[in-house]
Formats: sequence, C-alpha cells, structure tokens
Amino acid sequence: MTTVSAYESNEHSSISTYFQMDDSWKLRTGKGVSVAVIDSGIDVSHADLQGKVKESVEARADNKRVVFDKSDTGDSAGHGTACAGIISRIAPDAEFYSIKVLGAGGLGDGIAFLAGLEYAVKNRYQIINLSLGTTKPQFFAPLHDLLDRAYQAGCVVVAAANNLPQPSYPSVFSSSLISVSKHEDADPFNFGFRYGEVIELTAPGVYIRTAWLNNSYKSLTGNSFACPHIVGIIALLLEKYPVLTPFQVKSALYAIAQEKQERNMANESNEEDKLSE
Amino acid sequence: MSDDEIKNLEIKLRSIVETIDVANALTAPLTLSIENLLRISAAEINSEEASVIVRDGDAGDLRFLSAIGKVAEHLKTLKIPSGKGIAGFVFSSGQPMALADVGAEDTFYAEVDKQTGYSTQTILATPLRHDGEIIGVLEYINRIGEPPFEPFTSAEMDKVALFAEAIASLVNAYESAKLFRDLGDKMLSADEKLKLEEMRKWIKDLRETNEHKEMIDLALIVRELAGRGDAERQMCKGILESVLQYSDTKTETSFLSF
Repeated sequence: MTTVSAYESNEHSSISTYFQMDDSWKLRTGKGVSVAVIDSGIDVSHADLQGKVKESVEARADNKRVVFDKSDTGDSAGHGTACAGIISRIAPDAEFYSIKVLGAGGLGDGIAFLAGLEYAVKNRYQIINLSLGTTKPQFFAPLHDLLDRAYQAGCVVVAAANNLPQPSYPSVFSSSLISVSKHEDADPFNFGFRYGEVIELTAPGVYIRTAWLNNSYKSLTGNSFACPHIVGIIALLLEKYPVLTPFQVKSALYAIAQEKQERNMANESNEEDKLSE
Repeated sequence: MSDDEIKNLEIKLRSIVETIDVANALTAPLTLSIENLLRISAAEINSEEASVIVRDGDAGDLRFLSAIGKVAEHLKTLKIPSGKGIAGFVFSSGQPMALADVGAEDTFYAEVDKQTGYSTQTILATPLRHDGEIIGVLEYINRIGEPPFEPFTSAEMDKVALFAEAIASLVNAYESAKLFRDLGDKMLSADEKLKLEEMRKWIKDLRETNEHKEMIDLALIVRELAGRGDAERQMCKGILESVLQYSDTKTETSFLSF
C-alpha cells in the first residue's frame, strides 16, 4: 500500500495500489448492474439487445412540466440503440433502462434532457449514459445541481464531450461526472485518462460497428460512441466491486489507465534496452 | 376607400416594400457567403456534396437553407420531418456524428436517392450553434470521385467543427434578416382589400424610383460600416443622429424618414 508522501512526490503509479485490483473484473459481464441510456430510445427487438432492456420510458410535455410514460415507440433515430449496443458488447448482462428524450415532439432542446437525467437519478440507476449535451448557459446551474444530486445518490454519470469550440454541459463539469472523448484505438480496455484535462477519459469512438435500427449494424464515429465504451467498463467494475462510489469509480479508471500506461512505457524502454544491447 | 384610407394604405405598403427590399439586400450576400463556405469546407475534406439544414416551423421539422453538389437543387425543395435521419438526430442532440455506411436505414436519404438516382453512402453531420442554441446542421455527403468512398475521418470531423462556427454566425444573421422579409410577406398577404395585380405594378413602380434605390444603397452602406468595427459603428451612429437632429429643424425630412 502506498503512502501519502509517495503520492505527493508525484509518483502517480502508486495510487493503483489503493485498490489492490487485479484483472479479474475484465471477466465480468455487468450482471445485475443497472444502466440508464438517456437518448433517442432503444430498439428492444434488435438481436443484440433482446431481453436486456428492463424498462423504456418517454418524455412528454404536460402543462409546462415533463413527465415520463412507459414507451413502446422504440428508437426514433438509431443513436440510443447504437449506444446500448456498444455497452452490451462489453457488459452483455447489464440491465438497460431506456429514457427517451430525443424525438419527443414539442420538447425544447435541453428541457427534456434535464428531466431525463432527473428521472434517472430519482430511480438511482447505477450508471447513466449521456451521449448528449447542451451549450445553453441557462442549463448550467440546474445541471450542476442535478449532477451533485447524482453524485450524492451514488449514480455514476458518464457524458460525451462536445467536439465544438464552445463548452458543452454537462461534459465540462469535471468534478461530479466522467466525461469522454473519442480516440482511434478500438480496444475498449485500452481507454485513456488525461488527468488535469477538462475531458479526462478517452475511449474508442472512430467507426465503431454497432447495433442500428431494423436489426442492422452501422459504423459510427463521434464522442457519442466513446461514452458508452466507458459505461460498459464501469458496469464490469461495479459488478465486481458493487460498493464503489462515483469518486472511487473515477479513481479506479485513473488507476487502471495509469498502470497500463506505465506497463507500456516499461515495455518500450525494455525494447529500447534490447535494441541498444 | 376614402382618400385618407388610400393615403394610409400607400404609406403602409411603402414601408412593407422597403422592409422586404432591405431584407433581401441583406440576405442575398449572406446566402452567397454560406454557399462559398460550404464549397471551401467541402473541398477541405475532399467532398463536394454539402448542405446547411435549418429549423422549419415550430414542430421540429428541418429544411435545406443551402446546398451544393449534384442533388443540391432537389434537396432545397425537401423537408426533413422532426427527429428523422442523421440530420434530425444531430439537430436534436447537438452531437456531431459520422456514418460509414448509410444504406437504407436512413429513410430520408433512401427516399432522396430513389427520387434522384444518387447514392448516399457516407455522411458527416455536425450541429450549427449560435449563443448556445442549435440553429441547424452542417452535413457533408460522399467523397469526390467514384465509389466506394472512404469514410470521413475523426480529424475531418474536428476540422468541419471550425467551419460550423463560421457558418452558424452567417445562418443566424440570415435568419434574422429573413424575419423582416417574412413579416413583410405576411402583412401583404393579410390585406384582402388589395388587388394583387395593381399591387405588383405599384411595387414595380416604387422600386424603380430613385428615392427607393438610394434608400437601399444607404442601408447597404450602414451595414458595411457597422461590420467594420466598434469605432466605425459609433461614428456612423453619431453622424446619422446629427443629420436627424439637423433635419428635424427643417420641414423637409423625407430623405431620412425610413
């Protein structure tokens, strides 16, 4: 076990020993872990997702409020199905909860999305996949408040970064959620952690082949598709270590990425040594 | 109609036509600039089919504001129903997205392809934002040359995000100017007392008067000056206000009455 002084002396590698983790979590399947997908709905009939979606709800405007009804309209765009497909490949036994906020008629950008997040936190789903965001400044404060509530309720919120020049919410709130941008590497276990950056996690997000409408598959690129990779990884971790808090989940991701990076560096220097011999 | 009513109607019509013409004079260079930027950005990512898609009404439907490429003219006549297709998703989610294999699942483009004989294979779509608000979608289709087309890369997605910022400012300016035009159109069509033929002739005569042409020129000069910076804007405002004050003391004020 590491000491605080070792951490302060900037030996980040030693933080991984706090968890004393081995690689056995990688063999888990996300069994019993609840995952909310706040998106365009999920096509429950897709071969990759049959029997995995425990509940589907849909946002509806009701006298200036947003309410959620049971939904059988599936996915309006394909995007929610794509995200669920990615999570399911990594964590095939995770339990999905579809919260449809896109394509819900008459609801403005941001309002339904905020209500969907509140619904997921109230239901205390363990992981919340947010492959969307808003840049509207008026949502800054309510989203911040909602993410604090998620953090206190023990819900791990994972959000896709925006690749536009403006900040998007909630992906820039680095303290209480995990934000993800895409990288080219296709191995889901090979995610990156850029400590100190606004968007800390990187995961596969370039031409990811995943489920789409009408029982088909598509190759998709975007931060939207990097986010569910990290959700899948967290589902495995939470099955193995069900008591992890959102803070510990983030620290575990950091430790795993750090350890892997050091191993890679050690391998590289070994190879260089061999070459110079 | 009494003489007074006719006089009032004439004043009203004159102001409507002036509004429409100023709006047209302002929107025309904007649409041209949007198209130019579309062309430049498409060339940057080795594509030649590009479009700017904007909101159409309050129900979340979308329409093509501008398009370049083989099916551009056809696209401009079409609407995308709320939430449909890649553009619908990008518009409602605010997340950029690229697809390597469009196929029949994108029902909107499947229908367009059927009508035009074109084959949509790969798409890159990114949201257009202004002041935090999503105002449209910037979309590129296929590559230059023959299929099969290389999918758009992650780096190209980041590159067009920068063009999207510039295009979004132009689209926002266009939409603001268009509001005036729509307002003018609505005011004209609402007045049932007017005979359309007579009105057209009246509008044509009005447009040909020197006074009207000068007014449009003046609007363009003001717009040009206003775009040059804060100092120019302040100076222009100061000069125009002085002229107004001066003319208020005179009986003849029509040259600045718009």
